[in-house]
Amino acid sequence: MFTYILKRLAIAIPTLLLLIVISFVLMHSAPGGPFTSERELPPQVLANLNAKYGLDDPLWRQIVNYVWGIVSEFDFGPSFVYKDRTVNEIIAQGFPITLTYGLLSFAVAVIVGASLGVAAAMRHNSLLDYAAVGVSIGAQVLPNFVMAPILVLVFTLWLSWLPGGGWQGPEYWIMPVIALSTSFMASIARITRSSMLEVLTSNHIRTARAKGLPERQVILRHALKPAMLPVISYLGPAFVAMITGSVVVDIYFSTGGIGKAFVDSALNRDYAVMMGVTILMGALTIFFNLVVDILYGWIDPKIRY
Amino acid sequence: MKIRTTLASSALALGLALQAHAADVPEGVTLAADQSYTFWLLDAIKSMDPQINTDVEGSDVLRNIFEGLYNEDGNGDLVPGVALDHEVSEDGKTYTFNLRKDAKWSNGEPVTAADFVYSWRRLANPATASEYAWYMELMQVENAPEVIAGDKSPEELGVRAVDDHTLEVKITTPLPYFPQMLVHASTFPVLQSVVEEHGDDWTDAGTLVGNGAYTLTAHQLGERVVMEKNDTYWDADNVVMETLTALTINDVNQGLTRYLAGELDRVDIPAGQYPRLKKEYPEQAVSTPYNCSYIYVLNVGEKGPEALRDVRVRQALAYAIDRDIIVDRILQGGQKASYNWTHWAIADFERPELAWADEMDQSQRLEKAKALMAEAGYGSDNPLDLTLQYNTSEDHKKIAIAASQMLKQIGVNITLDNYEWKVHTDRMHNQDFDMARYAWCGDYNEASTYLDLMTSYSGHNNGEFFNDAYDKVMKDSKTAENPQPLYQDAERILAEEMPIIPIYHYANVDMIAEDIKGLPQNNVNNNWYGKDLYRVAE
Repeated sequence: MFTYILKRLAIAIPTLLLLIVISFVLMHSAPGGPFTSERELPPQVLANLNAKYGLDDPLWRQIVNYVWGIVSEFDFGPSFVYKDRTVNEIIAQGFPITLTYGLLSFAVAVIVGASLGVAAAMRHNSLLDYAAVGVSIGAQVLPNFVMAPILVLVFTLWLSWLPGGGWQGPEYWIMPVIALSTSFMASIARITRSSMLEVLTSNHIRTARAKGLPERQVILRHALKPAMLPVISYLGPAFVAMITGSVVVDIYFSTGGIGKAFVDSALNRDYAVMMGVTILMGALTIFFNLVVDILYGWIDPKIRY
Repeated sequence: MKIRTTLASSALALGLALQAHAADVPEGVTLAADQSYTFWLLDAIKSMDPQINTDVEGSDVLRNIFEGLYNEDGNGDLVPGVALDHEVSEDGKTYTFNLRKDAKWSNGEPVTAADFVYSWRRLANPATASEYAWYMELMQVENAPEVIAGDKSPEELGVRAVDDHTLEVKITTPLPYFPQMLVHASTFPVLQSVVEEHGDDWTDAGTLVGNGAYTLTAHQLGERVVMEKNDTYWDADNVVMETLTALTINDVNQGLTRYLAGELDRVDIPAGQYPRLKKEYPEQAVSTPYNCSYIYVLNVGEKGPEALRDVRVRQALAYAIDRDIIVDRILQGGQKASYNWTHWAIADFERPELAWADEMDQSQRLEKAKALMAEAGYGSDNPLDLTLQYNTSEDHKKIAIAASQMLKQIGVNITLDNYEWKVHTDRMHNQDFDMARYAWCGDYNEASTYLDLMTSYSGHNNGEFFNDAYDKVMKDSKTAENPQPLYQDAERILAEEMPIIPIYHYANVDMIAEDIKGLPQNNVNNNWYGKDLYRVAE
């Protein structure tokens, strides 16, 4: 297991490097630059700017300097657009926000979704089952960009219970978390339900029941673990989708999170911020997939690394 | 309605004491206990550094935490800021500003002429790499081009502190509107010791030292900016509003929702919603002229289509577009159909009589357009194909679709090209377009901020309209006693040559909370100052 993790981490380094090079080249091949504006800058001013930000070097040297800056000093450079700030500062401010509502959404989606799925499976074809399936299908067709305006309309405009956006305290977390988690919760509920149904009819559950174990123990100790396997494999892609979802949440709820910074950096050609966030997201995705694989091995004894 | 002339500079030169302009609360008005004002920002503030900022929104914040030589009042007229008044030399090339002695930085140090000298040199200094360095050139400050190019040291810039409270500026050509240019945020002073001590971090909340009526107390990028009243401000006694908060909301409709939920005191109204809101909230929905002009630029240069080098085609394109439909049916927010380039509400500017605007109605224009196209050799048997390029926005798209339908009537087939902003701009700079959507917002309240753009040497003339007569008129206007007749000549040349198709003049369409008073009503630049605001009790 330990060597397996080491091996995966070793592969992560060239993967990230490749990601850096490809993003860098793609980004620079897009028309326009960070200083393209409606008022075309006098050539001398533009030259001064390019010199200050190292954009007058050949592309290969820019990449080398950039990677060296990260490796040697963990310096992701200055933002080209938010000029008072470095990329590190922008990430340090925005990432904790995104991480907070991201993790909360993740927890809500997994806990609520899995409970709903298990409950539905245990009372198969009962009213509870139909209700759970109904809720999860309903939630599935409400992606975050539909949920967000509905939530604001109801809880901010009509009921005046919650602030319509911003990031000042826990009451600001509620709507982003609901908006982001709803459709994942629904998927997890459906996956859990069908997988649970399958497990409940399998031989080892029949054996467990036959030896007279209480139902609680049958479900929690013997059924839940194998039933969670497909859910866990869903968590990898779900995590990536949450990152994309955070863009919508950031824009709609003005949280000041990293998702909005990511989109802005692409539109503004803020090369440094875009690279910084790309690397962060890339590293997180690699890390998360590794965690999922390790969980897999832990849950399913048939999987060996 | 004509917006009043800015600054009686002679009055200032004579040293007449103009009324200091903090909140002007009429007698008998009861102020609310809560003196806070929350306003809307579409995007995160890019920089709190006056010499680095490039945005209108950034300037809205900077005007409150810094103060330049002059401020504007609700009509856009100049009122004293750090400068009490100024004298102009006989040749119009030397300005001497008398600075007030009671102006202080928020750390208690006095604001001196040396602070302005440092800041202006900093703006032009290539080491600062300011995107607004060219503003010093626009102001015609002596040696500005050479300093920006690195050929002269910043110390040679034409600005000097005669003593602590006297600032002398030398400019290369007399500019009658020079004082108006001083309300621009890039000319605001910064404190050298703070900038040098903290480097790029000097603009952080808590570190930033300003000389405005407010201090920056919190700045969470992309979320909010909070400013509190600055007690060291020279006119702090007359400042009523205690707290200014800017909320970043990236979606106009979401902004409106949060305004309606009571979270904001002011927000922009999304296109097309003004009539409905005006009906529902007549006291809150307001439309005021705004210093920007919307046009389609025609590429008349080498890389543009041959047809656009024919003046008849250019006129036909302009004549065929029905602007009234665009402003009345699409925008619906008090914008004005335009037949010329300079915004109608610019101080002292009066549009000349133009035959196509004043003597024809739209059906006559359409007939004329068809005749012109036929004359130029185009018609149903020989249609003209052009592309119309615009940057991503629902409004630009709607207008472009309407325009393409209108142009179809004169046998012009328009292909719509939508590009993301940076690509759109890049293509325009490279003359990679036939017709392109463009808008310009004036830097100051005088017609040359528009008209200078169309000169062959402006560097902003993306359509490559090079016209000697036009250049001459604009050059002459710089030294003319009264440039207004020359500005009218310039507009006449544009109407004749039609290198751009005027579409409409902007308006600011806002929802403003009823209890907030003191926002400018008649300032075409819409420059507002927190120190002028107050909230009345219900």
